[in-house]
Amino acid sequence: MSTTVIGLASPAMPAPRESMLRLFAAQFASSKLALLGLVFLVLFLMLAIFAPWIAPQNPFELATLNIMDSKLPPGSVSSNGAMTYWLGTDGQARDVFSAILYGLRISLIVGFVTVSAAFTIGATVGLISAYFGGRIDALLMRIVDIQLSFPAILVALVLLAVLGKGVDKVIYALVAVQWAYFARAARGAAIVERNKEYVQAARCMSLSWQRILWRHIFPNCIPPLMVIATIDLAHAIALEATLSFLGVGVPVTEPSLGMLISNGYEFMMSGAYWIAFYPGIALALVVVAINMVGDHLRDILNPRNEI
Amino acid sequence: MYCSLLLKRARLALASALLLAALPAGAQTTLRIGMTAADIPATTSQPDSGFEGNRFAGLTLFDALTLWDLSSAEKPSVVIPGLAESWAVDAKDKTKWVFKLRKGVKFHDGTAFNADAAIFNFEKVLDKSKPHYDARLVAQTLPRMPTLKGATKVDDYTIIVETSEPDAFLPFNLTNLFMASPAAWAKTRSWTEFAKAPVGSGPWKFVRLVPRERLELEKFTGYWNKNRVPKTDRMVLIPMPEPNTRVAALLSGQVDWIEAPPSDAIPQLRSKGYQITSNPYPHTWPWQLNVAPGSPFADKRVRQALQLAVDREGLRRLLGFNAIAAKGVVFENHPWFGKPKFEVKYDPVTARKLLAEAGYGPGKRLKMKVQISASGSGQMQPIAMNEYIQQQLKEIGVDVEFDVIVWETLFNNWRLGAKDPAARGADAINVSFAWQDPFFGFARFYDSRMVAPRSVNWGWIQDAEMDKLVAKARGSFDAKARDIALSKVHERAVEESYFLFWVHDVGPRALSPKVKGFVQAKNWFQDFSTVSMQ
Amino acid sequence: MFYYLLKRLALVIPIALSVTIVCFSLVYIAPGDPLSAILPSDASIELIDKLKKDYGLDKPIPVQYAIWLGRAVQGDLGTSIATGRPVNAELGRAIFNTLILALFGSLIGFSLGLAFGTIAGYRQGTWIDKSVTALAVAGVSVPHYWLGMVMVIVFSVYFNMLPAMGAGPGGDWIWDAEHLKYVVLPAITISVIPTAIVTRTVRALVADILGREFVIALRAKGLTDRGVFWHVVKNAAPTSLAVMGVQLGYLMGGSILVETVFSWPGSGFLLNTAIFQRDIPLLQGTILALALFFVSLNLIVDLVQTALDPRIRRA
Repeated sequence: MSTTVIGLASPAMPAPRESMLRLFAAQFASSKLALLGLVFLVLFLMLAIFAPWIAPQNPFELATLNIMDSKLPPGSVSSNGAMTYWLGTDGQARDVFSAILYGLRISLIVGFVTVSAAFTIGATVGLISAYFGGRIDALLMRIVDIQLSFPAILVALVLLAVLGKGVDKVIYALVAVQWAYFARAARGAAIVERNKEYVQAARCMSLSWQRILWRHIFPNCIPPLMVIATIDLAHAIALEATLSFLGVGVPVTEPSLGMLISNGYEFMMSGAYWIAFYPGIALALVVVAINMVGDHLRDILNPRNEI
Repeated sequence: MYCSLLLKRARLALASALLLAALPAGAQTTLRIGMTAADIPATTSQPDSGFEGNRFAGLTLFDALTLWDLSSAEKPSVVIPGLAESWAVDAKDKTKWVFKLRKGVKFHDGTAFNADAAIFNFEKVLDKSKPHYDARLVAQTLPRMPTLKGATKVDDYTIIVETSEPDAFLPFNLTNLFMASPAAWAKTRSWTEFAKAPVGSGPWKFVRLVPRERLELEKFTGYWNKNRVPKTDRMVLIPMPEPNTRVAALLSGQVDWIEAPPSDAIPQLRSKGYQITSNPYPHTWPWQLNVAPGSPFADKRVRQALQLAVDREGLRRLLGFNAIAAKGVVFENHPWFGKPKFEVKYDPVTARKLLAEAGYGPGKRLKMKVQISASGSGQMQPIAMNEYIQQQLKEIGVDVEFDVIVWETLFNNWRLGAKDPAARGADAINVSFAWQDPFFGFARFYDSRMVAPRSVNWGWIQDAEMDKLVAKARGSFDAKARDIALSKVHERAVEESYFLFWVHDVGPRALSPKVKGFVQAKNWFQDFSTVSMQ
Repeated sequence: MFYYLLKRLALVIPIALSVTIVCFSLVYIAPGDPLSAILPSDASIELIDKLKKDYGLDKPIPVQYAIWLGRAVQGDLGTSIATGRPVNAELGRAIFNTLILALFGSLIGFSLGLAFGTIAGYRQGTWIDKSVTALAVAGVSVPHYWLGMVMVIVFSVYFNMLPAMGAGPGGDWIWDAEHLKYVVLPAITISVIPTAIVTRTVRALVADILGREFVIALRAKGLTDRGVFWHVVKNAAPTSLAVMGVQLGYLMGGSILVETVFSWPGSGFLLNTAIFQRDIPLLQGTILALALFFVSLNLIVDLVQTALDPRIRRA
């Protein structure tokens, strides 16, 4: 990594960064598995974004549902002959495929919003902790330690028991359990940077601490944070599904993938396996895809880090 | 060759193992039931967990002064003598009742049931000065007998029960006051300790309780009614709140009987040889409207229009036909049904006409908000059912919006009434209810005094005519006259359509083929004494 | 070392105290009525107020907290509103049941993980390695409550081989074959994630050790495969054990799901029940017990690590 003092004042080092990106892309492409994961992730994102145009049915438009079509097995044709239910229908005659697309949307929204918020909060706390050190550092890191010593699922469950159901509330709870990972990683990376020459130099030039922190230290902490962000994205999506399954997550009116599994659970015993089965597969695929990207990112961005 | 020998041996071993397992079963029969409650209902003599609690931890271990007749699957069940042989209201002072107690009844601990024991059980919920008074018991009891004031002993087998106002519903209410052995309580002087080894006089004796896991009972051979001495030696009750767990447990042979199998699993259970029993019981799944002045539903025409707009057959189909279409609070052939001048049926043409008369039409659609829950005891399949109704109402020009809240909160809101901020301006609330006694079915809903905070007249019905009818029923102490008076209340309830009556549940149960002799009464409670195991 | 120990222990007190405040107040900000667990549908507001008084819920919250804490310090967590039984007794049983489940879960997780990881590490790059890695990724990604559901349908409903729910045919845990049957499905379900994680760790460790110079040197010196294997195990064991230790914490948390699916009467199931019944004393007691469990688990991990590696002894 370049430590030239000259590039300091401007949004630093355009040339090396570009080449770094290229290097990074090449490194990333070295793993076919990770590439595959990325392709799937992009595909899922597209499906979620364009769900209203792709889905054969809007599962929330009640007027389009016909109760006669409930619990049809995969491949059935609707009673009015207008469409085929490739993945079957649920107990309320919703097309399972359409429900998965819309559910994917909610799951991914929850995941991305959570990770962005946790990233912002965690990175800020971590950087401040690293930059100022001393008592602030000790206090903040103690909080992080305590937070991380409790399993995420328990903390989120208890928080949601208090907050109640809702997409927004799930996000609060997930941010509350995830920020600490970012804080710890950001601090770790920032402490290394803080002691490097260019930061010392910047301090000598009496630049404001905000500026040093955000313009100079922060960009160098991004790689490890990106790794955490990817892995936590998978965590957030899985955790939301778990919470919804336990009945404290999103409300029934906004079914995420986890909620779809939970709804379909009712029908498992009666042989209508597809109602829970396909959302389960979809959820597993999303999480696997993100994990494959995340694992590889970890390998190339911070090798030999914690396991 | 060797393989087949091995197989034969394995089969032999299996057969002898089965034989061994079958032997003690022949000596002692056990009925294992998967309940829907999340926990063992309280065994303090006043169970929690609603009527399911009474079914399994009340009427099994204990008796009340009055009991439900659960012997018939056809007739609506009536109140019959229990630990009281007879009762009559004082001709001069209608707030006083004389109860003649049954002689020769023994509790499971061998002590006698008499007037002192009965008084003890009244005091446990009414007399704060007594050490056996307990807030937990009060919570489970008093809401079901709001006019009960006290009881006094006349002689060893006669007591006088007092109410705060003349109330002909008292014998119904007293089916919920269970008689515990005072001697058993006196041993530890604590209901918590009593609950660990409860002693009553019911057909089943307590054996063992594992918190949250199982309650084991055995038959009480000394039960006073010889016809109701259980035909099974033991009964084990296991809480299984998750419907799928119940089905899995039944299919894997962990239990012999499950309460409320999900309607989707019923065809499969049936095809595997399990018996599915069902019978309508006093349960109604309604929308309770807000009729306070200013609400669109203060107009009777609007209420009737909605009543006519929904095809209840569709709801039944949605539930796999495990429901019957509601035509009122009670079933059509029930003595309290009467002859309402307005018929609850599917008639969208009249519905549109009535709405138009009330000033609504294509240009001015009626908008309404309903508070519902996503699940809950007795709520059936609330989301699917409500969405179906929403679809149907849309067709006559009514736009329904749902406020989906947690079951416990919905319950709370029910008590708080439509004017409370918690209702968030809702025009209706969807809480299913029991109506097996007249207080539950009518008085608490239609009496103008029963608005918040007293009871659950959620929609602020202030109908002087209705008040008169309810008061008349309450003051009719002759059973026949009371039923006629109640049918008048019911006629008005249907004609005014303060509630939109959708369906009644049929309480399905799934029983293993080994279970014989069960008669499912049209009641929340059931008699397990007649059940035998083969 | 002794000084560090003292310091670490002293830190536990404020942490525990803040945990009690958090778990006490959390429960009171929650919407809904704390008494709804025992109130029948149609209790009047008058009756509710009366009961609140009887339960001491009408006092100011700080006063309630002081009373609760005073009792909790003496080991009395009150009585469950829903059942009227002492919270202590409920918790004791539940934690014991969870420990049973965690024990079997970690046994399965550790042994399977060790086996898979070693094989994959030895056969790095081959299809065996790739399928093990893929399985491990799938293992952490598949929602395991869903896996539990599927297993119940297959093994309990279709084949009638194993019980679908519960922790035994009746009440208390006994070490016999009948009870072991009950633990099979939940233990396998709960062990999926630890298995995957231990596999990944061990695979990486084995591959790393095999690639290191000293092993290559040993091999060059003519050390047998068995000898090399011994070296690998010796070097990989401590880290995998440490990872498993962390996973034990996970098992206690993850148990909530598995316990819910299998109605296993452990601490997670209890917590879930307490949340849904809004049983405040039980909820407070369970959260407190779980929190203290994790605080002490961390303390132990810390101390053991310090004892093993003096460099960690931080200020």
